[in-house]
Amino acid sequence: MARAPLLAAREVSKSFFGNPVLRDVSIALQPGRVHALLGENGAGKSTLINLLSGALRPDGGAIEVDGRPVSRMTPACAQQAGIAVVQQELSLTASLSIAENIGLGAYPRRFGLLDYPELAVRARAACDLVGLHEPLSMPVGHLSLGRRQMVEIAKALYRRPRVLILDEPTSSLSATETKVLTELLETLRGEGIAILYISHRLNEVMALCQHVTILKDGTCTADRSLEGTDAAGLVRLMVGRDPGDLFPHWQPSASAANAISVRNFSAGLMRDVDLDIRTGEVLGIGGLVGQGQEDLLLGLYGAMAARTASATVNGASGLPSGVPKANALGLAYVPADRKREGLHLIHSIITNMMLPAFARLPALKLRSRHAERETARGLAAQLGIKGDLDRPAQALSGGNQQKVALAKWMPHDPLVLLLNDPTRGVDVETKREIYMMLRNFAATGKAVVLLSSDTPELVHLCDRVAVVREGRIVAMLERGALSEEAIVSAAMGAEQRKVAA
Amino acid sequence: MTAWKETVGGRRALTILRSRPFLTVAIVAGVWIAASFTSRGFGSYGHLRYLVELAAVIGLVAAGQTFVVIAGGIDLSVAAIVTVSAVSLPLLSWQADPTGLTAVLAVLALTTTIGLVNGLGVALLRVHPMIMTLAMATFLQGLLIIIAGGSAVTAENPLVRWLGNARPAGIPAGVLLWVAVSVIVLAAMHATSFGARLFAMGANPLAATLSGVPVASTTLAVYGISGFTSGLAGVLVLGMNGQGYVGIGDPYLLASIAAVVLGGTSILGGLGTYAGTIPGAILLVTITALITVVNASPGWRSILFGSLILGLLLLSGREQARR
Repeated sequence: MARAPLLAAREVSKSFFGNPVLRDVSIALQPGRVHALLGENGAGKSTLINLLSGALRPDGGAIEVDGRPVSRMTPACAQQAGIAVVQQELSLTASLSIAENIGLGAYPRRFGLLDYPELAVRARAACDLVGLHEPLSMPVGHLSLGRRQMVEIAKALYRRPRVLILDEPTSSLSATETKVLTELLETLRGEGIAILYISHRLNEVMALCQHVTILKDGTCTADRSLEGTDAAGLVRLMVGRDPGDLFPHWQPSASAANAISVRNFSAGLMRDVDLDIRTGEVLGIGGLVGQGQEDLLLGLYGAMAARTASATVNGASGLPSGVPKANALGLAYVPADRKREGLHLIHSIITNMMLPAFARLPALKLRSRHAERETARGLAAQLGIKGDLDRPAQALSGGNQQKVALAKWMPHDPLVLLLNDPTRGVDVETKREIYMMLRNFAATGKAVVLLSSDTPELVHLCDRVAVVREGRIVAMLERGALSEEAIVSAAMGAEQRKVAA
Repeated sequence: MTAWKETVGGRRALTILRSRPFLTVAIVAGVWIAASFTSRGFGSYGHLRYLVELAAVIGLVAAGQTFVVIAGGIDLSVAAIVTVSAVSLPLLSWQADPTGLTAVLAVLALTTTIGLVNGLGVALLRVHPMIMTLAMATFLQGLLIIIAGGSAVTAENPLVRWLGNARPAGIPAGVLLWVAVSVIVLAAMHATSFGARLFAMGANPLAATLSGVPVASTTLAVYGISGFTSGLAGVLVLGMNGQGYVGIGDPYLLASIAAVVLGGTSILGGLGTYAGTIPGAILLVTITALITVVNASPGWRSILFGSLILGLLLLSGREQARR
């Protein structure tokens, strides 16, 4: 006899403003099973999660808890039923401590006051599960993105969930953190918790999950055991056609000329770095998350104070003193956190695309709305951004937002493109398009610097990879020596030595 | 039936009809019409002209305020700057210049400089705009008390007197000045790349910086503009009043911010237009006039004024939730 699923959706449908986002989708989360939910951006994954967690109500169909339909699912109901969601968009408060964030909304109380000792004990237990060893009193704002993600997971565990929903938990985690999480999920599964796992990384899904539901354009294209499937088969179900290669064919296009050359470069966490970036190459920056890679890009871009013994940037000597100067020298930067750093969410797509132009034109030059629209239309067509360009950027899906963040630099034909994790939280199809763009960019003699937390991306796309550890470049791997093992072992070198000693 | 909504012109018309500036204009028109029926003489041309003339001063102060607010800041020193302008102009008796233009220009240069100092503090020293401009206001007030003391000073400047009293073609010179400033402000805000930078800075300063927007110099510019328009308002209020005294600018702090917000500009920055501030200023003056009609003590009038502004904001100006 089959046990009743802990949490299930029965033929739910949902539409926004008349656009159907989900049509008759069913999903059943069984105890002791890691259930993968796959689909491209915009396929309806987030909406389904929101229905399951009570954040949204279905237009049709029902949500069931322990086999009984719940007529009005609300977030409070969900919490009572033991459903915890780890959102893709981090929901932490930067100025509160780790412990306060973990307990937020469910603080232990004594005599009506917040019971800090009890909170500390329980938060510590949750942190130990996810391998968070930072002091509990540390403000979350001081943590790197990857550690914040771990806090987010600890926050869910603190509530002792029966159903754990994880929306792309590994997109900002390093290899070690991912490993900790994987082991944790195995343990939780053993304890009979139902887990719903959303990820764009298929190898993780293949390794971790037992069952898969695939969404495409709001309908369910697969609901089956993962046994006997392969990654290519999953992608086929997601995109509805043969996947082909994710990465474009690699061809050498690097020249001997340097686009950027720095000696004894220090910025933020980075110390005394010597680096040459050649024109026509894709230079990868790898390593564990938060080792100073971002500071390297920001320092080169003039967005962060940097010192250097000598520097040449596109023929000019010295580092750019500020972002406008860097732009004038042909540098462009695409940040990792596109919502916070890359886009103006409340402004239209057109305005977002035209911003670098506004920034560099003479201040009192009159705008031509017509020309702006034409340029934006061209960019949208070039990058495959569909729909009304007068919509605010927040209406776009993650992948399309990333395209806008890239597109805005294209009219300026930058010589060096500095990219900070451009494929984080982006669906497979968009990833492929971005990879293609980057290779084409390099082929036309531009330099691409690709900071990435996705190791396969570094291996397949880059001409060389600089591995950063504790603020230094510890290895420069040439194309011939590139492999995931080589990058990971260089990134974790210190830890390996410690084990050996 | 609704085919006109599908056409380009129809859609544009709908956008305008649904916009906040239009809503504010509609409220002003409604209040004027209602008041004309209930209060004798309210709707007369002379009275309405007088209201717009009063609104011109608020409109000028609020012009700079709109720039600052859209760019994500706030200027709490506008009232003090208006007073600086109105008090220091009579003190500058430039005998050599019979038109009085030189003295006006000197005062405007002074107030612009004060604004630029605000901008320096905000952009380079990273002082929060509220603290910086409030400190500036307090500093200026102290300085004014030392220089001018409690006595009123009379303006002998012909240009200022003309600005406050002349009516070319029946329209007050102050209103003409306001119209000219409005045209320039609207053009700078919506038709130049400078304007586009302001909105970007207000909506997301970090993303604006990383997109190459020269944030420091733009911040400097908006506070400079605010100093300039406040100075201009001071010149106008001096002309209308004949005398300048310490405290003459005080009503214009709340008025300028209220006009900005009533006009639909987001106090959080990044969204808005001066096209809304204009009816916002007129609406404020109208409310003041209506309260004056009600025979009440100054204390009650003040309470009524504050409540009405709050009520109007609840009606039309609440911030929509945004991420």
